[in-house]
Amino acid sequence: MWHDTRMVVLCAISAALYAAVLIPFKVVPLIPGVTELRPANAIPIVCSFLFGPAAAWGSAIGNLVGDFFGGAGPGDFFGFFANLAYGFLPYKVWEAIGGRHSPLDRSAAAISKYIFTCFIASLLCADVVGWGDNLLGLRPFAVLGNLIVFNNMLASVVLAPFLLAAIYPRARAGRLLYGDLMPQEPPLRRSVRLYGLFLLVGGGLLAWAAGNLISAGYWLPAFLPGTMLHAPYSGVVAVVVSPPLALAVLGACLL
Amino acid sequence: MPIYLYLNRATALHRLHPAVKILALFAVFWSIYWLDNPAALAPLGLMLVILAQVSGSWSNFYRLRWLLILIVFFTTLVWVLFYRQGPPLFRVGPLPISRASLEFGFGRGLKLAELIATTILFLSTTRVEEFAYGLAWLGMPHRIGFAITLAFRLAPLFIDSALDVVAAQRLRGHDFGRGGPIARMRGYAPVMVPVFMGALRKANNMAMALEARGFGHTNRPTSLAEYRLRPADWVGLAALGALATGSFLAYWLGYGAIKLTH
Repeated sequence: MWHDTRMVVLCAISAALYAAVLIPFKVVPLIPGVTELRPANAIPIVCSFLFGPAAAWGSAIGNLVGDFFGGAGPGDFFGFFANLAYGFLPYKVWEAIGGRHSPLDRSAAAISKYIFTCFIASLLCADVVGWGDNLLGLRPFAVLGNLIVFNNMLASVVLAPFLLAAIYPRARAGRLLYGDLMPQEPPLRRSVRLYGLFLLVGGGLLAWAAGNLISAGYWLPAFLPGTMLHAPYSGVVAVVVSPPLALAVLGACLL
Repeated sequence: MPIYLYLNRATALHRLHPAVKILALFAVFWSIYWLDNPAALAPLGLMLVILAQVSGSWSNFYRLRWLLILIVFFTTLVWVLFYRQGPPLFRVGPLPISRASLEFGFGRGLKLAELIATTILFLSTTRVEEFAYGLAWLGMPHRIGFAITLAFRLAPLFIDSALDVVAAQRLRGHDFGRGGPIARMRGYAPVMVPVFMGALRKANNMAMALEARGFGHTNRPTSLAEYRLRPADWVGLAALGALATGSFLAYWLGYGAIKLTH
């Protein structure tokens, strides 16, 4: 992707668009100083369907740019990778399950697949940020892990379809879709991609459930030494949440 | 709308090598990371206050004061709910509040506020070009560095464009503050579509302009601005090394932790 100048430009444009909507338009604070309803979260989804890998990097860089305008912390290191996943998964999951549907289709099957795709992207994004922030002991997984899924899904379901309906046909007409710009590598076998999807969904859900239960103190595995079993549970999160999260990331790589 | 935090001043912090400033960011993050106790975090906070004074960055701290205050307040609140250690001082309904949970929560709030204050200081003293130069100096591939710089440069243009569209839609009677969260979020679609389309129109021309100027010809392009490591940079690096070591030692010797009394 980085060898194609137009993809580099589209990456920068995706990043700038994300940051440009992120910075001034913070609609309703969910936890003041922590997070707010962000209409900008629709941008990585829309860009992912249009620009593919350029949007994935654009989403990561855009979040970084947005954070840099308002002050960032070490948690934003994880935010970079979480947003990379949030921009990477929509087009990759859609390629695996979308079949003959376009993301603009309004059939029940296409809408279900779209919602599922957005949910998986939101889930992995939330897992990475929640895991990273809890690992550093900055904020509990249960706070950010759930808010991010809610926030991303709201933008993906409420706002992104309108943007896609208006922009996707024009980008297709202008031959700016990633399929038109980049030579397509032959995809992995369908069975491998479905196995990857299985790992992604299973690992993502397990990491999310374990992160929530551990950080809230509802489940503390008995096999761990007592010295680890105290808030903020950073060690427990590292030992228990990391393996399913690694499986989810492996699954994403197989898509 | 001013969105850049950079303040053009002729201070010693501004003149540091960009790579040293990036390393300083990580060294201060590292130093703050090891400390939990508010008393142990206070000297680092004091150091940031002195650096803000030395670098003439107060206006940015004042601009973001509510963010910093809210972060301390809400982080304390969140950790009081999640950190249930030590004998309770009092109860709020079914929730026991202990001295340890208050101390831990306040420590986390202070820690987050200090981390953010560090980036405010970094951005107040570092231009986008310097940031990109520093990243390249530290080994980041040129094309990724270029995409980051371009994104920093394009974001204000797109923000201006979005604010113009907001003003135009308001003139037509569109109320962005009306309705619940979902209605308000949906109300932003008429803003995003024109901004998006304007950006797409730019993409092709921008790519052609870049290639016409030789973008991609080499992976190690020269830079108009050249920075050299000066004695002050070495002094800065030594001070950062001492800070990072001292903070880790404080953690290792148990001074940075919160002591539980049962």
